[in-house]
Amino acid sequence: MALQDVSGFQDTPMSHMWNSPASLSGPMGDTTPLLDMADERILGWGRFKSSERDGGVPLRFFIPPPQSSVPFRCDNRHTSLSSLSTSSSPPTRRPFPLSHGTTTLAFVFQGGVIAAADTRASCSGLVACPSAQKILPIHSHLLVTTSGSGADCMLWERILAREIRLYQLRHGRRLSITGSAKLLSHMLHPFKGTDVCVAATLCGWDVEEVRVEEFKGKRVDRMGSGRDDSISPAKRDRCGPKLFYVCSDGTRLQGELFSVGSGSPYAYGVLDGEVRWSLNEEEAISLAREAVYRATHRDAYSGNCVDLFHITAQGYCRRDREDLREEYHRERERVLKRGKEESEEDKK
Amino acid sequence: MSHGTTTLAFMFQGGVIAAADTRSSCNGLVACPASQKILPVHSHLVGTTSGTSADCALWKRILARELRLYQLRHGRRLSTAGAAKLLAHMLHPFKGTELCVAATLCGWDGVRSGPSLYYVCSDGTRLQGALFSVGSGSPYAYSVLDGGVRWGLTVEEAISLAREAVYRATHRDAYSGNCVDVYHITSHGWTRRDREELREEYYREKERERVKLKERREKQEGVEDGQSSGRKK
Repeated sequence: MALQDVSGFQDTPMSHMWNSPASLSGPMGDTTPLLDMADERILGWGRFKSSERDGGVPLRFFIPPPQSSVPFRCDNRHTSLSSLSTSSSPPTRRPFPLSHGTTTLAFVFQGGVIAAADTRASCSGLVACPSAQKILPIHSHLLVTTSGSGADCMLWERILAREIRLYQLRHGRRLSITGSAKLLSHMLHPFKGTDVCVAATLCGWDVEEVRVEEFKGKRVDRMGSGRDDSISPAKRDRCGPKLFYVCSDGTRLQGELFSVGSGSPYAYGVLDGEVRWSLNEEEAISLAREAVYRATHRDAYSGNCVDLFHITAQGYCRRDREDLREEYHRERERVLKRGKEESEEDKK
Repeated sequence: MSHGTTTLAFMFQGGVIAAADTRSSCNGLVACPASQKILPVHSHLVGTTSGTSADCALWKRILARELRLYQLRHGRRLSTAGAAKLLAHMLHPFKGTELCVAATLCGWDGVRSGPSLYYVCSDGTRLQGALFSVGSGSPYAYSVLDGGVRWGLTVEEAISLAREAVYRATHRDAYSGNCVDVYHITSHGWTRRDREELREEYYREKERERVKLKERREKQEGVEDGQSSGRKK
């Protein structure tokens, strides 16, 4: 799909009709016979088409038609919300209230970024999946931790990955983490006020590419890591570990420590006291594990296993998924043993 | 978690520790930055309050009166378990109304029983336990306490753990803050630690962080100087 976009190759007749200027600008009445004929198919792949090839972002999303007989297509740029509000049907009812039932956390330290999350996907009191993956890699130096509606997060993570890849192909360099956060935030903006629920933290390492360098008269293309001393101090601030929180209600924050989800207060209590820049790798990893464990211990909507990712200048590496039940048993043993030792000491 | 407060209590070998913040909030306004959320009921029983402060203050006084009457009539003090049951039954007729009381009763029962801790709520909950935290700041406190509370803690460790837990909660929760009160209940009765301003603790932590940041910067500059001087050669 990405390659198809960049090369402008569109071989299906439907895509011509979908994207031709006549259908874009014509009144809605013209498109109804077309939509009546092949509604399902258009609904299916019309979603992900990016119709402009000049670097713009507009994504034509088919918002489900109201109960009235005329299905209409919404341009999500300008007219979508106003036309939705004038339609007479009520919005579709959710069967249960959405809340971010998860624990995800991420923090920055001298050795990079640690991202950790539990693996329980819950659905109104049922554990829908005990081994969901909440930390999704986008490219070698960017991860997204997801919270909110699982389907929305999965979709938007794929869209973000596609847009970043397109940017890389068009401009020859990778989009920075700051740029990715801004991109995601602006893509989510048209859906503010709808039921889209995405609360993601983007964790990554900005690798500054030095395209041209004067080195003894020769012009050399180099890709440097964040700690290269040939890069100016201003650029050096832009390199290195980065952490952003992006939410579908429009929040976009940069920070050094974020925890998202119903288990986040429990995680914050542990992290606030211990997170420092000077942690070494093992301490940071064990701290992240501890924070997720504490949150899963108290929060009903978090649990099962913990996923841990560590991002450095060389990319991300993933720790094996760990079942927290073992940790719980180990802690109980430790407490029992300690209690026994202390009572023996008291007796002496 | 609508009760805008952080109160906690836990049992250990040295008795019971009860700690709470002192912020009384009212719809986003801090109504009183120096309120008292831990109210002594008698010499060996202390109750932490959460919910509506007016309701809590009233019911604590009623409970204190009933316990004193029991003592006068029967010649002995009512146990903490009995006090918890009494409070729960007194609150029961108001179940379903807007009364909102969530208290933990922390006490020491006579020579044989030792420390005891009950959570009583106006919706009818009455639970015995070794660790409770109530209020909007309770999740933050729980995670700190879960990792630290053991039976074998010393008194100083327990007090500093309670302080740390309340501090962490006030750091993140908007409805908790200002100062921390810590009470320690032993067989001799309750003792109260001086009220401590958490702002001082916050500044101390900030100072520690600033010092570390300076050290980090100096270290980095030292490394850069070394590198640049290396290149010049």
